[in-house]
Amino acid sequence: MDPKLTLTLVGISHRTAPVAVRERYVVSQADLASALGSLLQIAGVSEAFVLSTCNRTEVLVVGEHGVDLAPSVRAQVFRNLAEDHTYVYHDTQALIHVFRIAAGLDSVVVGESEILAQLKRGADTAQQVQSLGALLKPLLQHVLHAGKRVRSETEIGQGTLSVARVAVDIAARVFSRFDRCRALIVGAGETGLLVARHLKDRGIGTLVFANRTLENAQAVSTELGAQAFALDALPRLIPAADLVIACVEGGSQPIDTGVFDTHKLSKRERPQLVIDLSVPRAVAPDVARRPNLLLYDLDDLARVVQENRRGREGSSEGSAEILVAELHKFLALRTYASFTPAIAAMRERFDCVRDEVLDSIAGARSDPKDMELAHVLAKRLLDTALAHMKESARQTRSEDALDREYQRFLENL
Amino acid sequence: MRGALQSLTVLLPTLYMLCAILHGMAFGGVRAPQVSGLRRFVVRATIAVHIAFFWLRGAAVGHFPVADLWTTVSAVALATAFLYAGLARHLKHPGTGGVVLGLVLLLQLLASSFGTVEPVARVGGMGAFQVLHVSTSVLAAAAVLLSGIHGALYLVLFRELRERRFGALFDHLPDLDWLATMTRRSALAGFVGLTIGLNVGLWMAHREQPGQFDYRASEVMLSLILWIHFGVVAFSGVIRGFGARRTSIAATVGLIALLLSPILIFFPGRSFHSGI
Repeated sequence: MDPKLTLTLVGISHRTAPVAVRERYVVSQADLASALGSLLQIAGVSEAFVLSTCNRTEVLVVGEHGVDLAPSVRAQVFRNLAEDHTYVYHDTQALIHVFRIAAGLDSVVVGESEILAQLKRGADTAQQVQSLGALLKPLLQHVLHAGKRVRSETEIGQGTLSVARVAVDIAARVFSRFDRCRALIVGAGETGLLVARHLKDRGIGTLVFANRTLENAQAVSTELGAQAFALDALPRLIPAADLVIACVEGGSQPIDTGVFDTHKLSKRERPQLVIDLSVPRAVAPDVARRPNLLLYDLDDLARVVQENRRGREGSSEGSAEILVAELHKFLALRTYASFTPAIAAMRERFDCVRDEVLDSIAGARSDPKDMELAHVLAKRLLDTALAHMKESARQTRSEDALDREYQRFLENL
Repeated sequence: MRGALQSLTVLLPTLYMLCAILHGMAFGGVRAPQVSGLRRFVVRATIAVHIAFFWLRGAAVGHFPVADLWTTVSAVALATAFLYAGLARHLKHPGTGGVVLGLVLLLQLLASSFGTVEPVARVGGMGAFQVLHVSTSVLAAAAVLLSGIHGALYLVLFRELRERRFGALFDHLPDLDWLATMTRRSALAGFVGLTIGLNVGLWMAHREQPGQFDYRASEVMLSLILWIHFGVVAFSGVIRGFGARRTSIAATVGLIALLLSPILIFFPGRSFHSGI
């Protein structure tokens, strides 16, 4: 990495904070640009990136070496949050963390691939508001590449789970036959669509979408053969549903607790299952006290997949090797990139020397063979010099040292 | 014959223990094809051995062998295992077998421990209606036992889900719908068996004890209550507001009543079965 710059990561995730805390610090897609703008206003910050999903909010900033940006970032994004809910990483440790996120190793469901799309979306927004620079832009590209490589070359992505899939698996502990079930999905975003696809695969009887924008609900409903409604139909739709899955993006609780009528619930043939995948949560937690109702949020799903996580940790060993190699490659490229001004000067000097030599030899410029010889010789010499520079960049930090740093990172998790 | 009966008396609890262990392994997640095959084989073999045990006892006394308390308990154990094997084959889920066959083991253990090896012949033998009364009652008892067990397991799993505990019970018990279905179907089988057994029994009582039959006899009262109770459980699906959870509570209460019924039927004085 450029010795003049410092990379700082401040974040909260499912590892450090429950959903009740995380939901207060979600940066919605609509607010992302302004959040990045505010981060760039912090003195000393030259680049910024924010990743905000249902399981984490992470801020990555680049500043001058020796300046601790973490307190300012905390004050800006994680105001009034106890320090033990957040974590701070610098430089290589921050890089390791970001690479692990992309590989799905830090996800609730280890190996899930949704995080790659979320990283890509975050990077696109940051690119639009020009908060990415010489360090973060190539870093995010490399991180996405590493994430894809881990999934294609290790077993981690095989039979990949997702939060949506786990939600449907929980539903299978309640309902034997999905063809006799009526499922209501509140929110027609990406997660809602994913849940709907899993339910379709299980042969769900009736699938209903309710969304703030009716047109969006209609668009996904057409694809999946579902019914579409606006959110104002929820008081009518919820009592009729066996399974309610809320995947609402942003905003406060859109599902009124009053729709879960105690009297009607107690008279239901089977319990109503409500799975809230929204952050902030769409269903008030005290609804869980109603009779004949089972309510789960993302933290509950995280506990369900703990068993799955144990099963997949073996396959993450191969991913560590890939991540260390990719990290090494990235750092070597960064070091080599720092040679760019020297390389340009060297190229210029080589051209100059070549021309001087050609001028000093009488008649050399009139002979095409001499001209070609001079050009090839100069190019060969330059290539040899550059190869040496690349090698020295690669050896700036050995892969073994990085591997040790990676192990230290894991020990401190 | 005595030697064979003595051996079978010891062998049966052992075989049921093996069945319960193999089903317990299935509950614990061991579901390899070889183990599943062995599990099915052992259950079928045990049922066959148990039938042979009754056949030998029948041959010894010269009439239908279920004529005393502990043989009845053993017959209920056999009927429960038989019904469970049939239902599990149809519904394809071994997750509750450990509990069901554990209870069967307990019943057979009691029957083997307290029953006499030498079967006692009944004076005058047993007529066709008596055989019908006993066999349908035994089948009904087994069915309501299954219904109660599955109702209780429904409540256990519901509690686990409600408390957000995602441990072994969450992982290995069948889903709530399946447990509710088993509760109702078994209750229906029990209700049909009880309807036949009870009516035949009442008809015989009137015929054999004209003018002396007392409806207040503990077994009659209890049978009538259980008959109504499991009738409600069996048809709870069509009773408005009587959902799966309430059905399971009712079935569990019925199970407790059934398990306590021998005390009411066989030990107090005011019972015409107490002399058996």
